[in-house]
Amino acid sequence: MFTKLSKLMLVVAIAFAPVMATADGYVGLPRTFLWNPNFNEVIDTSDYGGEGPFAIGFSNASQGDGWLGTFYHSVQYGVSQNLDKIDRFIVTDANGDPTKQISDIQDLLEQDIDLLLVNPATADALDPILGRTMRRGVPVVTVARRVESDDSFVSFVTASDTALARMSATWMAEILDGKGRIVLLPGLAGASPAEMRLQAAKEVFAQFPGIEIVDTQYTGWSPANGRQIMAAIIQREGVGNIDGVWADSGLQGSGSVEAFMGAGVTGTDIPPHTGGDLNGMYQLAHENGFPFAGIDYTPSIGAAAVNLAVDVLEGTPVPQRLDVNFQVVISPGHETRSISADVLLPDYVAMDQPGELIMGSGIPNYDPNSFSVDLPN
Amino acid sequence: MKLTSVNQSLRRLQDPSLIIVILLLVIVVITGSVLSDRFGTMRNFMNVLEQAAGLGFASIGQALVVIVGGIDLSIGAVVTASTILMAAVVDLHPALMIPMIFGTLLFGTMIGFLNGYVTIRTGVHPLIVTLGTASILNGAVLIYTLQPTGSVPYWFEEFAYGRFWSVPVSGLVMLLCFVMVWVFLRYFETGRAFYAVGGSPDAAHLSGIQCNKITLIAYSASGFFAALAGAYFVSRTSVGDPRVGDPITLSSITPVILGGLILGGGKGNIFGVLLGVFLISLLSNLLNYMNVSTFIQWVIQGLIIIVAVSIYVHKGRKL
Repeated sequence: MFTKLSKLMLVVAIAFAPVMATADGYVGLPRTFLWNPNFNEVIDTSDYGGEGPFAIGFSNASQGDGWLGTFYHSVQYGVSQNLDKIDRFIVTDANGDPTKQISDIQDLLEQDIDLLLVNPATADALDPILGRTMRRGVPVVTVARRVESDDSFVSFVTASDTALARMSATWMAEILDGKGRIVLLPGLAGASPAEMRLQAAKEVFAQFPGIEIVDTQYTGWSPANGRQIMAAIIQREGVGNIDGVWADSGLQGSGSVEAFMGAGVTGTDIPPHTGGDLNGMYQLAHENGFPFAGIDYTPSIGAAAVNLAVDVLEGTPVPQRLDVNFQVVISPGHETRSISADVLLPDYVAMDQPGELIMGSGIPNYDPNSFSVDLPN
Repeated sequence: MKLTSVNQSLRRLQDPSLIIVILLLVIVVITGSVLSDRFGTMRNFMNVLEQAAGLGFASIGQALVVIVGGIDLSIGAVVTASTILMAAVVDLHPALMIPMIFGTLLFGTMIGFLNGYVTIRTGVHPLIVTLGTASILNGAVLIYTLQPTGSVPYWFEEFAYGRFWSVPVSGLVMLLCFVMVWVFLRYFETGRAFYAVGGSPDAAHLSGIQCNKITLIAYSASGFFAALAGAYFVSRTSVGDPRVGDPITLSSITPVILGGLILGGGKGNIFGVLLGVFLISLLSNLLNYMNVSTFIQWVIQGLIIIVAVSIYVHKGRKL
């Protein structure tokens, strides 16, 4: 006899089977699931269950940076793995504009989709339209970002911004023995992943009174902005007066490393940095040997969301929140009391791949420039 | 009398700008209907009418300012500030929802008035003045909040999503605004003075028109309609958003150009702007039906503007 908890464990294990099989480092259940102090409800989707093939509408927030491009490829990859179950796959892109995304969703609904997959541009603004979509009988699966109300979606697929930020911030504080002057480089001002990561990181740094935050500058997840901003801070503070740089992604983190190199600081003299996602960041850390911790916000959540969407349409119970594994990547000899490596940097970095490659796509032999899969329509 | 009226209507129909925008609308509708049997349905057209309301409100204000020879680059910032003001205040005091609708419209009107006043008093080009206003408002909003904030009562969503005999309420309000502005510009002395001021301020002044007063009314109206667009977006999203207005300023100019209003002032039909709003909204809707990437949508939208304006200029009227 199934209890709710054992049913949930089974659902999560099934949902993660492909993720666990392909991961290089940590392959257990996602830690964000294991350590989540709240319960994760199992959603009965029998009301949505039907005979395929199905029509899925995907309302994407944006393809505005490298991570979002790879995430979209992951969604397409997920669809290509379910061609026998999906016969229509319609995509809209809101270019980061929540009001356009609302119109996009209305246009998708007018095309009689069976399920709406959505990466919301913001957590709040999409709540009313997603609530209306659910009340209309069309199930909603949100991915990467959720909306406020639990009634506005069936399930949320994520890799956890808060866990990523807490772990990288804790590593930074501990590698500095709890004291030092650091710079925070968050992503795009106002974007919920950036704000959540920044808030979570500040929570951690607040527990280390010896850590002084010299400056906090939004970078828009741009390597060029990261470099320009960091160069100005180095100029102002002096090269030796910055002990660490916390970046919520390697997109801007790589720019920061390049700014130090531009100021004549190279090799192990570069202060500790954080920031995953971008292969170029891993390459810089590997080549220079400075203390480094990288955690990808894995774009493979795209494919995981498509698999979960198909489950919903087949009437299979799904967790209300589906956490996707991430890897903690640390340079050799730089693990700390709280943060151990799942994979050491030399085993993770792809030195033979281009620097602009986004890691954690979950797509075999992934090359963003030549990526192509068969899609319905 | 009747014959004169018919002749005038025919002459208006021969207005190249209106012919071009109507032709483009027909092309979009036919293309959509051929590509998808769901596109040409009344249900979809009502969907588009609902979606067009925000752009429609903003474009009316922009059109009024353009007719008097100005331009308003603060529309997006007023939209943003209005959403924040309304949602933040109502979140703290939900009972103030109805007063805040009027308060927000008053706020927008006052910002518009200030734009007009500074333009008149300083003689600085309105492009600079309104850009400065936009910068001040955007900065103030971002100091207050970086993320969407506030909330409004559930019933206020009905402004954006509600239907009256299957017709969207917001679309009806937008159409009503266009009709009222058309009547004002055509049948009221003050309204007709808009064209005179935009065409030749000196001649207008010599003929006894109070140019400054007309300019102030135009900019105040622009602020009012921007705030109305802000109220629509709050209704649609239920929050105030510090970035919601970012794309509105430029997009409010597009229907004005497509509708044949001359940048520089003095000429143009407000219904051309309405057709421009429909064209942009239907085009976006069609491209979503065609499963076309947003980047290609931008290219197509840009091409349509260039083609429409080129034909228009070729017909002998300079923008």
